[in-house]
Amino acid sequence: MSFFVLYESASGYALLEVMEAEEVGSLLEEVQQAVLDPQRFCRTVKLKGFQPFTTAENALENVNAISEQIVTDDLKNFLEMNLPKVKKSKSASFQLGCIEPGLASAIQDRLGFPCRSDETVKEIIRGIRVHFHRFVKELDGGVGEKAQLGLGHSYSRAKVKMNPARSDNMII
Amino acid sequence: MKGGAKVVVEPHRHEGVFIARGKEDALCTLNSSPGKAVYGEKLISVEAPPSEDGTTSKIEYRVWNPFRSKLAAAILGGVDGIHIVPGAKVLYLGAAAGTTVSHVADIVGPSGCVYAVEFAHRPGRDLINMAKSRTNVIPIIEDARHPLKYRMLVGMVDTVFADVAQPDQARIVALNSHYFLKNGGHCVISIKASCVDSTASPEAVFAQEVSKLKTENFKPKEQVTLEPYERDHAVVIALYRPPKKSKSKD
Repeated sequence: MSFFVLYESASGYALLEVMEAEEVGSLLEEVQQAVLDPQRFCRTVKLKGFQPFTTAENALENVNAISEQIVTDDLKNFLEMNLPKVKKSKSASFQLGCIEPGLASAIQDRLGFPCRSDETVKEIIRGIRVHFHRFVKELDGGVGEKAQLGLGHSYSRAKVKMNPARSDNMII
Repeated sequence: MKGGAKVVVEPHRHEGVFIARGKEDALCTLNSSPGKAVYGEKLISVEAPPSEDGTTSKIEYRVWNPFRSKLAAAILGGVDGIHIVPGAKVLYLGAAAGTTVSHVADIVGPSGCVYAVEFAHRPGRDLINMAKSRTNVIPIIEDARHPLKYRMLVGMVDTVFADVAQPDQARIVALNSHYFLKNGGHCVISIKASCVDSTASPEAVFAQEVSKLKTENFKPKEQVTLEPYERDHAVVIALYRPPKKSKSKD
């Protein structure tokens, strides 16, 4: 049974394969050490595929969809291309980890991949967030932050503009 | 800042923060967009030490008002470490119009960055405008209660700063920290007692918030009240997922 995790970054989607995962006691000191040590972590988690967003508009469309737990065509194509094929007769021989339970069930409904979203996935994604620039070499040296900056601006500007009343949405 | 040429700027104990010594002392930060004030604060321009080829230049600082910024009040209150230093990555919850965020951005400098989260649209507009001239500020108009909504925009951070003034503030901070705060990172929380529980005594509220943090794998480090700048406010600093003391020296 292989185990993949989906990681959504400001630069694009990434799929990583988890070679061995500690299912219990993910907060134990030893497991945390293994996550923090880049060499050990890169041995247990391997990059399977990375698809950068093509344009700023494309990135904005995807970030909006992801925050609303919607599977875009980009994400669908990316997953279908990089995950092992599922035969109709048999059940899939892998699991897809997704940090957001809502998105996990959306993927399961639309694409039929068995998804999971639990503490283990959360800890693995924490590790990926720390080491992501090591997996995708193009994002080293502040390029990843540039993408976050651009996307943060366009995401936020769209949010502010979308409110025609121009008044605050108060929390009640 | 009156005093003209007499003003001397000295580094503060906290790296990236400065004190302007003139007629009156003032806290300030190095202005990363010279010539521009963000919210009408005073600018102080001093001669930089002459460079090797003998040319002199000006360095500009912005005065940081402790009555308007809880972080500045905490610094003047004598906090031990703010954990916001040059090069740090900071997740700032409750950024409002970005007045304190602009000073935090000055401190972390070009090699650091500030993810500034604000939910309300009206101050959010000011925040976005401020971020236009400061490229190390990433504005995020989203609800800090739902960190997964902005997970694509945020990387791993060294420090979470929170000034959200919500009853469930400790929970909001913990939620964000589980996704974005590195092991051994810090959270710096400004707590307004009346926002959490207006009937209990402030001390009881602070103690209650600290105990909430403890259950979320935080180790409280220090607590300062913001008197005389704010009433019944405290800043609590805690360490997230503290590294175990196992090997003696390593």
